[in-house]
Amino acid sequence: MQVMDMSWGALASIFCLLAIPVIILRIAGVPLLRQMFSATGRMTVQLVLVALYLEFIFRLNNFWVNSGWILTMIVIANLTITRNAGLQLRRMFTPLLAGLAVGTLPMVGFFVCLAIQPEPFYDARYLIPISGMVLGNCLRANVIALERFYSAIRADAKTFITYLSLGATLQEACRPYLRQALQASLVPTLSTMATMGLVSLPGMMTGQILGGSAPMTAIKYQIAVMLAIFCAGVITAFANIIFSLRAAFTPYGLLDQDIFSR
Amino acid sequence: MIRFENISLQTQDHLILNGVSFEIARGEKAIFFGPSGSGKTTILMCLIGGAVPTAGTVLFNEEPLTTRTLPHLRQTVAFIGQEPVLGAAGVREALMLPFSFRANRARTPSEEQIQEVLKNLLLPPDILDKQTTVISGGEKQRLAVARALLLGKTVFVLDEITSALDPQSRLAVLTFFRKPELTLISVSHDPEWMELGTHFFKVEKGQVTAQNTPPVFREIKV
Repeated sequence: MQVMDMSWGALASIFCLLAIPVIILRIAGVPLLRQMFSATGRMTVQLVLVALYLEFIFRLNNFWVNSGWILTMIVIANLTITRNAGLQLRRMFTPLLAGLAVGTLPMVGFFVCLAIQPEPFYDARYLIPISGMVLGNCLRANVIALERFYSAIRADAKTFITYLSLGATLQEACRPYLRQALQASLVPTLSTMATMGLVSLPGMMTGQILGGSAPMTAIKYQIAVMLAIFCAGVITAFANIIFSLRAAFTPYGLLDQDIFSR
Repeated sequence: MIRFENISLQTQDHLILNGVSFEIARGEKAIFFGPSGSGKTTILMCLIGGAVPTAGTVLFNEEPLTTRTLPHLRQTVAFIGQEPVLGAAGVREALMLPFSFRANRARTPSEEQIQEVLKNLLLPPDILDKQTTVISGGEKQRLAVARALLLGKTVFVLDEITSALDPQSRLAVLTFFRKPELTLISVSHDPEWMELGTHFFKVEKGQVTAQNTPPVFREIKV
């Protein structure tokens, strides 16, 4: 099936649609026009740059360049997670980097090497978009998990010290908070999975169909990638909490308030 | 048994404890009193490893409190606050909570032991089937004590535990803590609780300003 490219002129005409939200926002007096133009401009520039970079990477298709790119994505995801969870970068960077790597790399490896089996196995056309999808979805789950976990212990200091004074180890005292944090972080992905195809057609699948793939091929990829995303979300959220305990608690088992950035 | 040697606790902008020293022997019933914000609760927290002194040494059974000795102290000493934390939805579940921790699994009590402890604290047997949200503050306090007893604890660190008790609960708690084998380290402003005391420590501005002087009633103010 032939992929139908979109001309730059056609894309430019789509920008004309923005006139409608401009009118509505003006009538409603919503002060978001500047933000709307800024966000639209940023999105366009960023995606054009990414396309140029990906075209370069796809042409190069070098193992080390691809690995370096994935590592860069993990580091950026880590910075975003740490900052959005309200935690100190200096204290949390290393354990959270380890947690993200442990959760995402095996999932991406499994997905690419065993499910798709491209030749070569590090083919950038598969490796990089799939890593991006898995990492992007882990990001939200990890922000929720870490923020919930540490802020709950901070707010519940008396209960926490009671657990310790009843003979709990640090891990045992953390268990109820870990349970709640994991639950909160995984519910959005589970809800998305449960309504997939009914409420919305997922982006990857739509993209593949628009790109010329048969719907059955597209759904196989979509199911596989959703499972990889969910598994990576569980592993990274769990690993990030476990790996960060040593950095976050004092040797007396008390939460170190210096880990919070706000 | 418990000795504070020149304990100070300094935060970024506040000196909470300033050179606190005292000693409490087994079976003694120590009561800390003094104005609000004077550092009484922080003394208790230092004792259970809930706050870490910036200077001085806490000794428990002649051993300095360190990360090595802290687990033993936490297994020996029971801490109960003004609003006790039961940590579970059901009363039975709350009572059994510490026995889900590895350190206490071998001490899991029998049904007879549970019933006996409840009886000693004037708690009805059917309380075990209730939710912790529907029982009174006094019952919660007594359940926290019951849980400590089931763990075999004889040293109690208590923070104003009688302040919100109904008369029946107050009587049960006061009667129970009179037992000579129990060691108490408590913060209180309750005149009835003061009658239990064998040692008194007046705390002001982070310092122990008077020892072994029972407070006159006008000094007992929050």
